[in-house]
Amino acid sequence: MPQPVQYRGMSLIVPDNDTEWKEFYAHARAHRLVVRKCAPCGLLRYPPTHACPWCMALGWNWQEVSGRGTIYSYEIVHHAIQPGFRELTPYAVVLVELDEQRGQPTPDESLRIIANLLRPDLTPEGPAEVAIGKRVRVIFQDLADHMALPQFTLTDEPPQGRVWRLP
Amino acid sequence: MKALRDKYCIVGVGETEYSRASNRTTRAMAVEAVRHAILDAGLTAGDVDGMLDYQGGDSTLANHVAPDLGIRLNFYMDVMGGGSSTEALVGLAMGAIEAGMCQTVAIYRSMNGYSEFRIGGTGARAAQPVRGLDLAQVPFGMRSAGQNFAPTFLRHMYEYGTTSEQVAHVKVAHSKHASQNPKALLKERVTVADVVGSRWIVTPLHLLDCCLETDNATCVIVTSAERARDCRPRPVHILGVAGRVSKPRLDFHWAHGPITRVAGYYAKDIVFGQAGIGPDDVDLTGSYDAFTFTTMLQLEEYGFCKKGEGGHHVSSGVIELGGRRPNNTSGGHLCEGYTHGMSMVIENVRQLRGTVDDYCPKAAEGVHTYDYAPGRCRQVKDAEIAMNLGWAMPPLGSALILRR
Repeated sequence: MPQPVQYRGMSLIVPDNDTEWKEFYAHARAHRLVVRKCAPCGLLRYPPTHACPWCMALGWNWQEVSGRGTIYSYEIVHHAIQPGFRELTPYAVVLVELDEQRGQPTPDESLRIIANLLRPDLTPEGPAEVAIGKRVRVIFQDLADHMALPQFTLTDEPPQGRVWRLP
Repeated sequence: MKALRDKYCIVGVGETEYSRASNRTTRAMAVEAVRHAILDAGLTAGDVDGMLDYQGGDSTLANHVAPDLGIRLNFYMDVMGGGSSTEALVGLAMGAIEAGMCQTVAIYRSMNGYSEFRIGGTGARAAQPVRGLDLAQVPFGMRSAGQNFAPTFLRHMYEYGTTSEQVAHVKVAHSKHASQNPKALLKERVTVADVVGSRWIVTPLHLLDCCLETDNATCVIVTSAERARDCRPRPVHILGVAGRVSKPRLDFHWAHGPITRVAGYYAKDIVFGQAGIGPDDVDLTGSYDAFTFTTMLQLEEYGFCKKGEGGHHVSSGVIELGGRRPNNTSGGHLCEGYTHGMSMVIENVRQLRGTVDDYCPKAAEGVHTYDYAPGRCRQVKDAEIAMNLGWAMPPLGSALILRR
């Protein structure tokens, strides 16, 4: 079993028998953002799970996605809970809606992912830059030989829909 | 399905002191709360033969609490979970009795929620390793309840124009109620300016938008309407219950929108369907206030106002004592103390009995002044139907409708 990854005071544990995250993080370490694609029906899903929520099939394959998306919602953490995040406050957590499979298979469904909003050099983006509607792309924060976190950074693409941030 | 309407009652309620330094075990507190509820019901230890409790690895199991009180159990179960468990376990108690497994069930929650296992995620909880589904959020500095819910709240502001000032009225209302509650941890009334002027915790939550982590234990006792007739207090009948109703993708609810929709969207038809009533028939509510926003989101999802109009609704005076439908008349989790939902059911039971424990000298006899000034009365006049809207997280909730 690989050693727990120490990151900001947390022990991140991905054991050898972890059938959800181990390969996901291996792909992320190779700087690929992957999600699971149902073998029979072809629908994508995140986070990694074991059956298709739409057709209940067990078969799936990893599918690389573009890593491009839009900030769907966000929060600015001013009071950190985890001690390792205190030096980062205020920091941004974003809910990113990926471009793939938006509004499918029902209008309520989308591939959404939680991450931090960082600058391309992996330093935290300024809270004033965070807004719903802004376009982002994935970047990768390497943590260990077998693990990297997918994070997101702003792009210069035009926003999608109304841009709004909490005044 | 109205088969069980009026067949079961809550006959006893009890709690310990709400504090931030209990200096004792969850076992000691649970025993005291269960004892208080048994005495409140006018029962003895020999009358209670069922026990249910819920916790998150932070409490004492029923097999230690019951024997302390000399209770021999025919049925018990310890359940994992936090908010929204109260109403769900009331339903399970009804089911256990209906199945003939037992006759009278004590439901308790005991936690050193401030001095030991802080619900907010600091202390012992923050030190836990991160694995499994937690990897989808926790490594990004998203661990506490407030951090987990904030994107839902913020999106509501984006979609519907809800403002911080509107939502602050939930805290204002509950602080008014707490000023008439001798048990409340925070009895001081606050203003909208106090709430929006308090420091940011995680946008859009200010400090005063968040509830009070508390040490306490709480208990309610459920039995059949038939047995309830022999109990001391006026029985409070259960009209309907919905337990741990979920949105799709409970594992990662962000995948299924609208993310401003909460579980009440699905729970309301179950609970109102059983009760055979609608929102207009409800005299007071206990909409779970882990945060100001959770009260608002649930009130609109259960149909007390239109979806998206929650901000206007909670700032209109409706939810205050003296208003059309007061919410959390004890002060709730924002002001009385955090109990994972139990106290809101306890308060509604007392309201329906007409014996809410305010500052009226003869409150226990049901004599109230209905003067809602600070330090006075908090009894709702002629309250007949009360509803609890239990919250666990945006995609998970429970509900309970009670009648006098």
